[in-house]
Amino acid sequence: MTWDWAVFFGTFPLLGSALVTTLELVIASLVLASLIGVILCFGRLIGKGALGWLATAYVSMFRGLPETVLIFWIYYCGPFVFDARLSSFASGVLSLSLVAGAYMGEIFRAGVLAVPRGQYEAADALGLSKVHLVRDVAAPQAFRIMLPAIFSQVTILTKNSSIVSAIGVAELFYRGSTLAGDTFRYFEIFSAVGLVYFALIFPLSLLSQRLERTLAVTR
Amino acid sequence: MRGPVSMSNEEPIIVCQDVRRHYGQFEALRGVSLTIRKGEVVCIVGPSGSGKSTFLRTINGLEEIDGGNITVDGISLPGSRRETIEIRRRAGMVFQSFNLFPHMTVRRNVTLAPMRNQRLSRSDADKIAERLLARVHIGDQIDKYPEQLSGGQQQRVAIARALAMEPRVLMFDEPTSALDPEMVNEVLEVMRELSHSGITMLVVTHEMAFAREVADRIVFMADGNIVCDLPPSSFFSGANEPRVQQFLSKIR
Repeated sequence: MTWDWAVFFGTFPLLGSALVTTLELVIASLVLASLIGVILCFGRLIGKGALGWLATAYVSMFRGLPETVLIFWIYYCGPFVFDARLSSFASGVLSLSLVAGAYMGEIFRAGVLAVPRGQYEAADALGLSKVHLVRDVAAPQAFRIMLPAIFSQVTILTKNSSIVSAIGVAELFYRGSTLAGDTFRYFEIFSAVGLVYFALIFPLSLLSQRLERTLAVTR
Repeated sequence: MRGPVSMSNEEPIIVCQDVRRHYGQFEALRGVSLTIRKGEVVCIVGPSGSGKSTFLRTINGLEEIDGGNITVDGISLPGSRRETIEIRRRAGMVFQSFNLFPHMTVRRNVTLAPMRNQRLSRSDADKIAERLLARVHIGDQIDKYPEQLSGGQQQRVAIARALAMEPRVLMFDEPTSALDPEMVNEVLEVMRELSHSGITMLVVTHEMAFAREVADRIVFMADGNIVCDLPPSSFFSGANEPRVQQFLSKIR
């Protein structure tokens, strides 16, 4: 097989709409996962009894399931359980969010717990209200602690989004597979697909490193 | 308890009656009563584990009490959340480990409470910060972050931060215990100056020379009780109290 630069470069324009779908998947899942994460974090931090137990059970369950299984389960078994068929895109977002939400919850919780007790005491001793304590003292510090882990979770989410191709969501990997299947130009097309994923993720790592460095100085 | 409750005729700022606190079976405070009057400088001393810090922390509600009551500037504890917040605004606190906010500049550390609690404008709060930081001899560090400062400098910022709420009383919880020896004096010097300014101070400390020099009264605690409450001269002559004599012999 000979490498054909024309096919390689010609692949990128064909991936345009698929790239948009991947971005939509990642952003929608990120928003939903963050919401789930916030609920879980507070459920585990302040939830007593059933609420705390539920949050803990959720985290254990969704951290212990392979995404692939979950995606197929929601897409194929969901209709029997909920009496409604979700679109493949919605099933994909839901599966990715449920799992990423479990990790986000733990990241948020670790961040909140990592703010030293003395910081809360100092804010209390100044007579700050709860709102100001959280907004001015706790949240900014917790956020700095969480930032690297959040970035790494976004990276994982972007990579994992390729799994939803299995239920026919026309995202990057799916589009690449169909193109390759039609043309048998696997070499050029999967190289192009890989490069697009890398181009999405690499700037994220750079940004993360950069933020870590600037925040370290002003901490 | 032996000794006068107070030698001054000024109005009481802090009145503690029979304050109790326990952790499970352990009684940290076994009925502590103490009155601090306006302008007094009172040092609380005693062996570690005697309940000094716990007692100090009950006064601004950082530590909840299981019995008795506390009145600070006319407001009672235990009380509503609103009342507790009001007490904290009137009773400033300086911690052993400084507890400065690491993500804020020195200036922001000092201006935060006035801006949030009293809704002062940034420029008004800045003026307060500049004045107070000059007062603790650290005016030239105002735009640095806490980690760029030495321990002694950080503790002086913490003092300025506590002063920014114009508290009726300033409480210190072992303010020099976490400092390197060469930095202890710069903090004590600031506290000495404060004590001459007429502000009411309540200081938990192991710095006996400082207590002897600055305090109007020395309160000695052991096993969750106040053993004696005396002027420094009587206290340092042993107070006719075996536990005080034992304590003094160990630290000398």
